[in-house]
Amino acid sequence: MLLDPGMDLTLRPMRYPDFYERYRAAIRNTWTVEEVDLASDLSDLAKLTPAEVHLVNRLVAFFATGDSIVANNLVLNLYKHVNAPEARLYLSRQLFEEAVHVQFYLTLLDTYLPDAGERAKAFAAIEHIPSIKQKAEFCFRWIGSIDDLNELTTAADRRAFLLNLICFAACIEGLFFYGAFAYVYWLRSRGLLNGLASGTNWVFRDESMHMEFAFSVVDTVRAEEPELFDGNLTTQVVQMMEEAVEAELEFAHDLCGPGLPGLSAEDMRQYLEYVADQRLVRLGFPARYGTANPFAFMELQDVQELSNFFERRVSAYQIGVEGNVAFDEAF
Amino acid sequence: MTQELIAPAPVAGLAEGLAAEVERACAGLPGADPARLLAAVRGGASDAGTLRELAVGEAAALVAVEPAYSKVAARLLNAHIADEAAAEGVTSFSASVAASAAQGLLNGATVAFVAAHADELDALVDPSADDRFGYFGLRTVYDRYLLRHPVTRRVLERPQHFLLRVACGLSDTVADAAELYALLSTLSYLPSSPTLFNSGAHRPQLSSCFLLDSPRDELESIYERYAQVARLSKYAGGIGVSWTKVRSRGSLIRGTNGHSNGIVPWLRTLDSSVAAVNQGGRRKGAACVYLEPWHADVEEFLELRDNTGEDARRTHNLNLANWIPDEFMRRVEADATWSLFDPKEVPELADLWGDDFDAAYRAAEAAGRFVRQVPARRLYGRMMRTLAETGNGWMTFKDAANRACNQTAEPGNVVHLSNLCTEILEVTSDGETAVCNLGSVNLAAHVGPDGVDWARLRTTVRTAIRFLDRTIDRGFYPTEEARKANTAWRPVGLGTMGLADVFFALRLPFDSPEAQALSTRIAEEIALAAYQASADLAEELGTLPNYAQTRTARGQLHPDHFPDASPVLTDEWAALRERVARVGLRNSLLVALAPTATIASIAGCYECIEPQVSNLFKRETLSGEFLQINGYLVADLKRLGLWTPAVREAIKRANGSVQGLTDLPAELRELYRTAWELPQKALIDMSAGRTPYIDQGHSLNLFMETPTIGKLSSMYAYAWRKGLKTTYYLRSRPATRIAQTTISSTVPDPEAVACSLENPEACDACQ
Repeated sequence: MLLDPGMDLTLRPMRYPDFYERYRAAIRNTWTVEEVDLASDLSDLAKLTPAEVHLVNRLVAFFATGDSIVANNLVLNLYKHVNAPEARLYLSRQLFEEAVHVQFYLTLLDTYLPDAGERAKAFAAIEHIPSIKQKAEFCFRWIGSIDDLNELTTAADRRAFLLNLICFAACIEGLFFYGAFAYVYWLRSRGLLNGLASGTNWVFRDESMHMEFAFSVVDTVRAEEPELFDGNLTTQVVQMMEEAVEAELEFAHDLCGPGLPGLSAEDMRQYLEYVADQRLVRLGFPARYGTANPFAFMELQDVQELSNFFERRVSAYQIGVEGNVAFDEAF
Repeated sequence: MTQELIAPAPVAGLAEGLAAEVERACAGLPGADPARLLAAVRGGASDAGTLRELAVGEAAALVAVEPAYSKVAARLLNAHIADEAAAEGVTSFSASVAASAAQGLLNGATVAFVAAHADELDALVDPSADDRFGYFGLRTVYDRYLLRHPVTRRVLERPQHFLLRVACGLSDTVADAAELYALLSTLSYLPSSPTLFNSGAHRPQLSSCFLLDSPRDELESIYERYAQVARLSKYAGGIGVSWTKVRSRGSLIRGTNGHSNGIVPWLRTLDSSVAAVNQGGRRKGAACVYLEPWHADVEEFLELRDNTGEDARRTHNLNLANWIPDEFMRRVEADATWSLFDPKEVPELADLWGDDFDAAYRAAEAAGRFVRQVPARRLYGRMMRTLAETGNGWMTFKDAANRACNQTAEPGNVVHLSNLCTEILEVTSDGETAVCNLGSVNLAAHVGPDGVDWARLRTTVRTAIRFLDRTIDRGFYPTEEARKANTAWRPVGLGTMGLADVFFALRLPFDSPEAQALSTRIAEEIALAAYQASADLAEELGTLPNYAQTRTARGQLHPDHFPDASPVLTDEWAALRERVARVGLRNSLLVALAPTATIASIAGCYECIEPQVSNLFKRETLSGEFLQINGYLVADLKRLGLWTPAVREAIKRANGSVQGLTDLPAELRELYRTAWELPQKALIDMSAGRTPYIDQGHSLNLFMETPTIGKLSSMYAYAWRKGLKTTYYLRSRPATRIAQTTISSTVPDPEAVACSLENPEACDACQ
């Protein structure tokens, strides 16, 4: 079974071909930070109101450390316990993508904050800015709980691991990052910071896949060991999700202050509750909030893009295309 | 830390003002509900302008629920534009021109013309014409086309003032201005963006495209080309430039006795230069580099857009195109060897095409002058991979482009490349930079339930050609090489947009024989009317100066190069031929189908000759992201009682496809297939059918959801065999995608999880 302890090396026959397909699809979607054009953002930054500048600075500070937390958990916990080589292939690829995200946000920070002192402060945010610090504490509380587990031998171990994984995928990637993306797209809906938004599109695409991979690990475990999913686990997942919403909401209060045009902390609360429900339902748990999505601009993210190449770099290409020259294939 | 969850108290009167405005904006639009829109507008605004801005955004976001909200958003935005212009004292057309002139934005002749005819021109303005704009179109006009005060950044013209200003910039009489304005205000025809930006302006650079021959194989010439590219780019021109004549890597440099690093470092510099020149602050500079596949650096050239590898050998901004001689494709088909040359050693190849090229190439090969040899198919496969991975590395065919070009009658007049969008095919030389002035007929505005209104289409074409011809004389040329070539050859490029609208309106699936025949007929009508108009102009104003060098002067018209073409307007072609023999033509080239990305947005029609990409998609532009939905489909769904939240969600979930909507009758599912669902062979066949009537080229995108080398190589070989002159982007889709946030989550179906390439026998869903 997937969570049985060990370092399985057998790729043929392959037990979880779906994981391997995800690995291959991820490779076809390679992008690099050098492709993101942040040039137009600098002139936008000069136009922002003080409240908007505050929001952007907080956002950058969150991004500065968020992906590193994710990458660390990936190496220290997920890679250790998800025991299938094809799944580890995917996780290795994901680790690379997290590194690209870290690099993207580092580049962003270096671009947005020309002052070395400001840059250092952004990285120290995790210690000094309460709204960010408490999000980090949430992460460490839930994902740090299995740091000392070397093998998942008991059902309790495996439930602890599942909580870690769900926290990782549904709360950190699936809620905190989605919250942050909403701020970026809100700025974008007002024609601001296109560079940040186009890089974020690609990060968003990657994070969507990471989350989906983690969820399919949960699906697999549920199919293999349904007894792990008892009422107690459900209670804990819901409690964790509630805490995550609260933590992200506190961040929202910090970012939105008394309200920005078309964006208030109350809007964010609805949005976060809506997203949290989506995650719970996807994982087979009951919805907790029953709230509707308030942000029409998020609807845009669900729809296929069509860029005018004069304007934006088109992100819809694949790499690693296969096959040989032929003249009689259907097209 | 936690603050109270209290929205700021609304300023008294704001909400009432907005309610009245939203009510007005929804008037006469049955689908639009003012209450629904008002409910969606959230707080945070402290003034009426910001509140209206929020309302515009919410209305725009409702477009996917009810297309009528596009108009609502446009009306609200238009009210905002009117307020902004009024704040600059602009309430009439003549006041708008005066205000712009006061800021030094317009040229003296246009200002004087408007001042002399202020009342007559003011009376031409049709205020109701604004209601023809959808939101995305008006937003584009507002964000990028309206002239703005240099300091306050407020607009100095309203949309109709802008269109009339464009018309006046190209007119000497009120009647002329009225004639062109009538086309513009009905969105029946739009000139290209540079003309829209700059007509009547202080520096009226009106041309869209510039094509520069390869630099000579020397340092000074290379740097001179950079400077030309920068000057042309500054005034909003797209650049095509060949690099075929520059020596390849390892070539000896006599002056220093060192060896060349090849073309890549030069193209890196070009890349930076292009990125640095922002087109008048309005859009990014853009360029495409052409290279012939016998150049020894071709493989490195094909890697320039890869996002992996050494960044010092990558160009992230340049577009790339292969300029392919038939000999290469023949060798690909024959699975033969292909020789790569250093142009310094074989300088003659770049200036030859057809039989002369074939002979010179084989002679150089036989003499062993090549740098190395590769299997032709391996290089072709590499080209296909570049297309699949980057969409770039466009396949354009040198011999087809030259063979039928009106400018290549005399030896030495050679088409060396196409342009940024692969629709312009004109000769270039070291001292001649080819230029093209473009405009496009909106076919959607010429179709009724019974079909295309041919008489109106011809009238539109004749007016369009007359004004395109004028842009040649009134344009400001950023370089002498461009002025010289344009005034000597007088080429123009009339194109089309909205072909997909025509097919939707007439219920013709894109790949039906009827659509194919109609498309060819439209091309024939446009070409005929364009030639007639150019003959009229020749009679009135004289032929182009280089007329003696054209194929027309030798009695050949473009369709004559295509013996398989079967024109239906035979009598009129015969009459035209007889007339042209007497009076000549004013323009060496007349028809080119540009991609029309931006102007089709303004006109609210589908781009160029393209099928729809999706029934529901978003456009990403510098102005932001915009939802677009297929209004023809929505009308049908409403008629069938199928326009429900569940259906909307299903369309969204299917990435804008309706193939899974089993309640929709089969013929409608066929009609509303997307570009990804159409056989690309049909697109190529349609383009081949139109080619006899396109004396330049057309920007033909091809679409493949999941490209493979096998499918692509078959497709492009077919395009070549069908005689296409050029192709444009290969569009594909990302291998992974964003998780949709606004549609309901479900636990995935285990059947779907089982589907994978790894265990195909488990999967029936994909067969």
